[in-house]
Amino acid sequence: MRELLEYIVKSIVAEPDKVSITEENSDAGLLIKLDVAPEDKGRVIGRQGRVAEAMRTLLRVKAAKDDTRVRLEIL
Amino acid sequence: MEELEITAKPGEQAIEEAERQLGMSRDQFEVAVMSEGKSGVFGIGGEEAVIRVKPLTPPEEDVVKVATDVLTKLLELMEVNGKVEVLSHEIPIALNIEGDDLGILIGRRGQTLASLDYIVKLIVAGQLKVWLPLSVDVAGYKKRRDESLQRLALNLAEQVESRHRAVTLEPMSAYERRIVHLTLADHPDVTTHSLGEGVNRQVVILLKQG
Repeated sequence: MRELLEYIVKSIVAEPDKVSITEENSDAGLLIKLDVAPEDKGRVIGRQGRVAEAMRTLLRVKAAKDDTRVRLEIL
Repeated sequence: MEELEITAKPGEQAIEEAERQLGMSRDQFEVAVMSEGKSGVFGIGGEEAVIRVKPLTPPEEDVVKVATDVLTKLLELMEVNGKVEVLSHEIPIALNIEGDDLGILIGRRGQTLASLDYIVKLIVAGQLKVWLPLSVDVAGYKKRRDESLQRLALNLAEQVESRHRAVTLEPMSAYERRIVHLTLADHPDVTTHSLGEGVNRQVVILLKQG
């Protein structure tokens, strides 16, 4: 899950070195927290949250394959 | 992309400034020197150099290659078995994924496919610094949907003509509405427009006046 998000995010931000991703497991599934450089925040969220929503959709494909649920939080 | 004018101190600094502003390396843009500039004495009385830079559009084959690689990588990371094929090497570039059990990549009303298409475009644009027309399809889903929308548009146009009454379609996405508009753009007797806001925007087909 982490590799998928990391690949997408690092490909679209200006500062790939400042991308940080943490994963937490809970009963509700996997919670992924994404942190990027302040000037990259707009790039990973997108207009009206379009980029974030598209990333969530692709994470859900992987989650379905893994038979789990996933939530993405952008810090 | 547009030309950009850069002003900097004489010497190589204008090029460095251009690389910084465009986020590209020297071989990705053309440079025309407007003025070489002059260095003054103790930094006084100098003239700044002015250059114009224009990003080079990568050849279509590069876009096809990068897009294919990006899509293949995403499939691998999502653990979806599919093979990427290139349907069009020319603009608009079209890729399609073939394989078994690809419904998971299409999603409800093509929502997952739309997300995949968008992310591939974003990554390709990020790598090549240009936004080129590019479309990703899964097992010909978009193609079939486009064709059925085109048929629907033509059938409804016929109905509008024979009954002399406007027809309103159900709410559709911007992409779907565009297909209806384009299909009927050259129609001799009917015209189209959209009504409503946001997710409720609908296409209306009506008779041309006069």
